[in-house]
Amino acid sequence: MQPLQSAGYDRAITVFSPDGRLFQVEYAREAVKRGTTSLGVKSSEGIVLVVDKRPTSKLVEPTSIEKIFQIDKHIGAATSGLVADARALIEKARIEAQINKITYNEPIRVESLAKKICDMKQMYTQHGGVRPFGSALIIGGVTNGGCRLFETDPSGALIEYKATAIGAGRQLAMEVFEKNYKDDLSLNDSIELALDAVYEATEGKTTPESVEIAIIESKDKQYRKLSEDEINDHVEELLIRQKKEEEE
Amino acid sequence: MVEAPKIEVFDKDLFELYAKDQWGGQTITEGSFLFDQRLLPDYAFKVIKAHPKNSEITENTSIILIEDFEIKEFRKIKSSIKMEDVVGQEQAKIKCKIIMKYLQDPDKFKDWAPRNVLFYGTPGTGKTMLAKSLSNELQVPLYLIKATSLIGEHVGDGARQIHDLFEAAAKTAPSVIFIDEIDAVGLDRKYQSLRGDVSEVVNALLTEMDGINQNYGVVTIGATNNPDLLDFAIRSRFEEEIEFKLPDNNERNAIIKFYVESMPLKVDVDLEKLVNHTKGMSGRDIKDRLLKTSLHKAISDDKDKVTWEHFEYALKLNQKEKNEPKGMFV
Repeated sequence: MQPLQSAGYDRAITVFSPDGRLFQVEYAREAVKRGTTSLGVKSSEGIVLVVDKRPTSKLVEPTSIEKIFQIDKHIGAATSGLVADARALIEKARIEAQINKITYNEPIRVESLAKKICDMKQMYTQHGGVRPFGSALIIGGVTNGGCRLFETDPSGALIEYKATAIGAGRQLAMEVFEKNYKDDLSLNDSIELALDAVYEATEGKTTPESVEIAIIESKDKQYRKLSEDEINDHVEELLIRQKKEEEE
Repeated sequence: MVEAPKIEVFDKDLFELYAKDQWGGQTITEGSFLFDQRLLPDYAFKVIKAHPKNSEITENTSIILIEDFEIKEFRKIKSSIKMEDVVGQEQAKIKCKIIMKYLQDPDKFKDWAPRNVLFYGTPGTGKTMLAKSLSNELQVPLYLIKATSLIGEHVGDGARQIHDLFEAAAKTAPSVIFIDEIDAVGLDRKYQSLRGDVSEVVNALLTEMDGINQNYGVVTIGATNNPDLLDFAIRSRFEEEIEFKLPDNNERNAIIKFYVESMPLKVDVDLEKLVNHTKGMSGRDIKDRLLKTSLHKAISDDKDKVTWEHFEYALKLNQKEKNEPKGMFV
């Protein structure tokens, strides 16, 4: 016999259950967990976004699996969950960034952008006939106000993090962050920490092809994806580091 | 457990006639059974005493029906499992030790006795195994009941069987009752619409577990995979809820070592490697799905030891098939 906890209250997103839950929105958060792990780390030297994207077949071109997006010159986002929903959100984010630029002639602040995204997500939890977005975004960027890193979830909730993870390996990655995050990380340290977390979240199945890294340094405020060579170096270092740790 | 309808004989002569009519000519010995072929399907009378031995039922035999007042034999189990064989689950073991101490000296605890404990957790993590080991180490009767057997055929049976069970346990106190899959009887009363007798069974269980009858010296242990299905009031009767977790690396290592020792074929693999491949498996999964499958594979291949390829085969079988649409989620 199946437990009937949701007892019909999950049929429409706009109906609360008697104990105040919105089941469809909670289910949308489960959709996020179906995606592979994405993470972001903030430090004073910049933002690091790392994603794990394991191709399902060797015939797939790895570059076509998009999990990290550039939103504006100075802002990037890592996604997990329903890929199509994520792209719709990214499209919206890019337009919002440009609207801000044209209207105020200055780059959009990361917080404003994250809130704009969340406004849209929230709208899809309060109207009939729609479904919530099945993806979460980690939005990171650098403006004059410094480095900011936000996580948005399908309910439209917004939380700023020092380091966070979404997707299947969230739990494991967060454990690594909780243990090893320090306030005075350098950019290189942040990349290392993020890769350690990916390694943990993928249970050791990390290869140079499976990760993608983007950084936004605070000195030039420029979004930049790391090249294959750079990623190779970092992952090699990671594997050596992990091997050493295991031997100890 | 014997499920027997109660037989009442109002007219002894008539019963004798009834008996002679169907069993006339049969030779009987003490302890043999006489199957009823007329009124009661699948019902047998036991021959308690025959005089002289090996006698034949004839016209002149007198037959007396003795009502058997012996309380129904609730299954008391015997097992060779020891508590050390259950790997991990320290908290539950501590509780079991307290229960053992209590049963050895019930007077010491007075009103502070352990009474009702709930074991819950994913299947195959050792709930039933621990109960079996408890019965092995205890010198008192342990009633190991599958909750499903407490649900009778007819409405009303369930409640009566629960009362019978606790009555039997109280008579043989100190004793332990272990109800496996307790969610079958302790179902939340909101499922009344799905199964008509839920309320009745639940109420029976409630009164027995902590009710008017002081079940002195009776400890009840319930086990379930799904504590959320339990009735709120029943759940509150349990003084402690102990979760059985999936084994971690060290525990899996211990489990694998333990079972490998008793395997009929030699195992020629790096056990550490195997431990790493069994993440997320329960003790039962390891035993039945991994070790057994690979052992059987090795035997069917006529090998004299179990090697990595056999384990690989078993692991591959166990890989849960991913039916989810590829590419929809990234």
